[in-house]
Amino acid sequence: MEKTLTYEAAYEELARIAGEIENESVSVDVLAQKVKRASELISFCQSRLKSTEAEVNKIIAQMENTGSKQ
Amino acid sequence: MTPIQPIRLSELTGKISDTIRASFSMTGFWVIADITNHSFRGQKNHHYFELVEKDPDSNNILAKIAGRAWGTGADRISHFEEITGQRFTNNIHVLLYVSVQYHPVHGLQLNIQDIDPRFTLGVLEQQRQATLERLIIENPDFIKKSGDLYITRNNQLKLNRVIQLIALISSDSSAGGEDFKHTLVNNSFGYIFQIDEYHTAVQGENNAEAFIAKMIEVFNAGRPYDAVVITRGGGAQTDFLIFDNYRIGKAVAKFPIPVITGIGHQKNETITDLMANTPTKTPTKAAEFIIAHNKKYEEEILSFQKSIVIRSQQLFSSNFQSLASMNSLVVNKTRNILIRQKDNLVRINQVTINITRSVIFRSQSSLLGISSRILSKPESILYKRKNDIRQLVGHISTFKVQYFKNQQGYLGHYRSMIKMMSPENILNKGFAIVKVDDRVTSNPDDICIGNDIGIILSGIEIKSTVKQKDKYDGKDFNL
Repeated sequence: MEKTLTYEAAYEELARIAGEIENESVSVDVLAQKVKRASELISFCQSRLKSTEAEVNKIIAQMENTGSKQ
Repeated sequence: MTPIQPIRLSELTGKISDTIRASFSMTGFWVIADITNHSFRGQKNHHYFELVEKDPDSNNILAKIAGRAWGTGADRISHFEEITGQRFTNNIHVLLYVSVQYHPVHGLQLNIQDIDPRFTLGVLEQQRQATLERLIIENPDFIKKSGDLYITRNNQLKLNRVIQLIALISSDSSAGGEDFKHTLVNNSFGYIFQIDEYHTAVQGENNAEAFIAKMIEVFNAGRPYDAVVITRGGGAQTDFLIFDNYRIGKAVAKFPIPVITGIGHQKNETITDLMANTPTKTPTKAAEFIIAHNKKYEEEILSFQKSIVIRSQQLFSSNFQSLASMNSLVVNKTRNILIRQKDNLVRINQVTINITRSVIFRSQSSLLGISSRILSKPESILYKRKNDIRQLVGHISTFKVQYFKNQQGYLGHYRSMIKMMSPENILNKGFAIVKVDDRVTSNPDDICIGNDIGIILSGIEIKSTVKQKDKYDGKDFNL
């Protein structure tokens, strides 16, 4: 997967592919390719989201620690 | 011994009355006294009370006399209450204009004609009002009055969100300053403060210059103070005169750092309080105000934190949900597409098979038709031809004898014709053959005058020379 891919860009691409698939405007020739790309994008987004969530939770825990110390 | 000559009591009271009237009826007195035993009959607008004078040291009553206010006196009391904001009641110190009256039944009484509100407002208060007015008039740039409120540059300053670095102006080791610091340092939230102390005398109007010098020192310290706190513990009313000082009031009003006062008195606010950013009643209250101010900030931060946590969780869950829904959408839709395409293929396959079958069947049957036609036709054609040939053979054998006879007839004719036309025969009939240079000619142009020619006539060749050539148009051979 591209290193420069952002969550936002990945999500937009994913939404576009999902829309094409939903409209069934995808030809069978590229269907496998599109679905593969969609699954890559989904797992990319999920892992990006999970890692961000973990990071945010860590920060929040730190925030709450600092808060309770006072 | 003179016999007792009693008089009637009313006679005596009459004499007293006459005497008092004679002495007091034409005059009134301005009297300073305290009020006790006050009662007020609202329906009649009558005040009843006693006027007393106490010894300032012992508090013993030095003088006491009944008083009442009806009519004009009661109206003046209402006016007094309006102006001073002070109810006419027990334990107030007032200046009254009274007349002395005696009544045989009710006794000696002072009838209140007037009451001076200015006295009660006090000389000090009058000075204070004058100072306030002067502040407004002389400093319109940074002191204004709006209704009952004073709007100063200092009280328009916005306090920093957190007050931590504080300049404390108080007297050296004063109880007020200690109260303030104690409350601040021992706050239950663990807030930490840095307090720079500036000591100066905070009582006596003659110390005003020193006080202002301290304020200038605070300003010149160049420290980023969040607030300047001025404290003073409790004390007699006159102890606070310094805070009604014109120059201090002006300095506080103009000061660029918010001033918080904690001047421990319960009466009217001092001018300093009115000019300051935040006046509080006591040093402890000043400290509590600062703690509450900081606490409010912390609570805001905590609520931000809480909302950040909640909002980020919401964001995550909504993103996860949308990813999951997109995932299932892709999966389901893809499956649908594949199923539909498969169905299409099956259908097309079926159609193809059916159509192909019918095409083949049609071709086969048309082929069959053609081949059967082909099979049947040649036999009849051959039969016809054979017939023709048999007929021809019949004709030929019939006609050949006649044919030969005819042919012999034609041949005999041609032979006699050729015999008649042979040159011998022709020469025998008187015609000659002319030769020039041994070649036979029939063209007169080949023959010129003087040429040698040969003439063959009936088996004899005659040699001759041409003498003359003339055109001949005789009719000898006209048959």
